[in-house]
Amino acid sequence: MPYFLFTVEDFCRDHAFINWVIRPTPESNHFWQTFMAEHPHKQPDIQMATDYIKTIEFHETNPSEADLARLKERIWSDAYPASEQQAGRVIQWYRRPYWAAAAVLFLVSLLGVAWWQYNADTSYKTAYGKIQEIRLPDGSVVTLNGHSTLRVAKNLTENTVREVWLDGEAYFDIANRHGAKFIVHTTTAQVEVLGTEFNVNCRRQQTHVVLNEGKVQLMADNQPAVLMQPGDMATVTPTKSHIQVKRVQPKTYDAWKESYLVLDGKSLPDIISSLQDTFGVTIQLDDAQLARKKLTGKLRTEVIADCIDNLALILDAEVSRNGTTYSIK
Amino acid sequence: MTRTRLTPAEHTHLWDSFRDGDRMAFSQLYEFFAADLYRYGYNLVRNRQVVEDCLHELFLHIHEKRAQLGPTDNIQFYLFRALRRRLLDTVARLNRFDSDDYLFDNAEFLIQSHESYLIDNELIVEQKTILIAELNKLPRRQKEILYLVYMKELTYPQAAEVMGIALKSVYNTINTALTTLRGHVQASVQQRSVLLSLLAMVFSQFINN
Repeated sequence: MPYFLFTVEDFCRDHAFINWVIRPTPESNHFWQTFMAEHPHKQPDIQMATDYIKTIEFHETNPSEADLARLKERIWSDAYPASEQQAGRVIQWYRRPYWAAAAVLFLVSLLGVAWWQYNADTSYKTAYGKIQEIRLPDGSVVTLNGHSTLRVAKNLTENTVREVWLDGEAYFDIANRHGAKFIVHTTTAQVEVLGTEFNVNCRRQQTHVVLNEGKVQLMADNQPAVLMQPGDMATVTPTKSHIQVKRVQPKTYDAWKESYLVLDGKSLPDIISSLQDTFGVTIQLDDAQLARKKLTGKLRTEVIADCIDNLALILDAEVSRNGTTYSIK
Repeated sequence: MTRTRLTPAEHTHLWDSFRDGDRMAFSQLYEFFAADLYRYGYNLVRNRQVVEDCLHELFLHIHEKRAQLGPTDNIQFYLFRALRRRLLDTVARLNRFDSDDYLFDNAEFLIQSHESYLIDNELIVEQKTILIAELNKLPRRQKEILYLVYMKELTYPQAAEVMGIALKSVYNTINTALTTLRGHVQASVQQRSVLLSLLAMVFSQFINN
C-alpha cells in the first residue's frame, strides 16, 4: 500500500487503517507508529483521518450480564433438552444388577424423610415492598426484603449444620454457635458462614453476596469456592466458570433495610430491575437515551410511588402511572 | 464482558470446532459474539423481545444445522448477516410493509469527546453538534453502512453482503459521509483561522502602540 501517497480520505477508506483506529493491536500500533516516524509529513493527515473515523460513532445499548445469561439459558435448554439425559439414566438403572434396586429403595426412603423434614420446616414470605425481620431460634437475625422467601430447617439449633433456603434478597446477621456452620442455599449457590454479617441477593438467576463483617465461603456447582473478606462482593452466574469478586461499599448493598436505595453509578436499567424485583412495579422506559444513564445518590424507597417520582426528577423526565405500571419518558 | 480479538485463523478454528459438534466451542460462540449481535440487533430494531427471540432462534438454528454450515474466517460477519435476515423476516411478518424501511430506524450518532486537533473547546462542541446533526440526516441505510464499516470493522464487500446491497452503494455512502465530514472540518478550520488572524491583528496593533 502506498500509504505515503494517501490523502485523508484514502486513509478513511482503508480497511487496515480503520481497524487500527477502532481496535489497535500491538502489531498495528507498531506499523503505524513506524510509518509516521518515517513520514512525518503524513502525520496531520493521519490525525485528521483518525478524527473523522472516531466521529462516526453510534449509541450502543449494552445488554446486561443478566440479559445475556438469561438468553443463554433459553437457548441451551432448547439445544440440550434435559429429557435426553434422563432417558439415558433410566436405561442405565434398568441394566444394573439387583442390589441397585435396593439402593433405589433406600434413596426413596431418604427422600421420604427429607420430604417429612421439609414439611416441618418454617417458611417466611414477604409481599412486594415489605421488609420483615426474622429472629431465628439460634439467635441469628435475618432481614427479608420484599418479594422474598426464606425457608428455615427444622431444629435449626440442634443440627450440626444450620441451614436456610433463600429466594429473593435478605440480610443475615448470624450468631456464632460453637463453630456450628450456617449455610444459606440459593438456587445457584451456597453461602457458608461461621458467624458474621452479609447480604445475599439471588434474583434473576444470579447470586450476589456482599460481606459486611466476618468470614464467608461461597460455593457453586462446577466453580471453585471463594473465601470472602469484608467489603467483597461475589457474584455467582451459573453459566460462568468462575465466581467474580469485586470490592464494594457494603452500605450500598444493605441500605434497603433502612428503606433506601443507594446508587453508585448504577445504570438505569439495573435500577429498574431492582425496583421491579422488590416492589412488584412495572417500569417502562420510552427513551433509549435514558437507558444509557448511570446514577449516583440515595433514593428513599418507603413509598415506591415517591421513589419513582424522584427518579424521574433526577432524570429530568416525565412519569405517568397506571396502577402498578409506570412509564418514564 | 471481555472484548477478545480473534485472528482470522482463530475464527476459522473456533467455527470448525463448533461445526464438528464441540459443545465448548458453541458456548464460546455465544460468549464472544452474543453481546455484539445484541447491540447490532437492538440498533436494527428497538425492541428487546424481538431481538432476543431472533437471537434465540439464530443460535438454535446454527446449532441444529452445524454439520451443514460452510466455513468462515469472520464469525461476526457471518452471524451479522444471518441476524439481519432473520430480523428482516420477523419485521416483515409483523408489519407486512417493506420492512427494510424499519431497520436501523432509531440508531443515532453519538457526540464523543476524544482529543481533536482543534484548540477551542466550545468550538469543538458546537461544530460537532452541527456535524452530528448532518450525519443523522443521512438515510438509515447509509447510517447502517457507516456503522458496519466504521464501528464493526467489516470490509466493504462484507457490509454489502450483510445488508444485501450492491458494493457501489457502500462506496457511495462512504464518500458522502467523508464529504460531509470534510465540509464541516474546513468550516471550523476557517473559523479558527479567522479567529487567529483577528487575534494577530489585535496584538500587532497593541505592539505597534
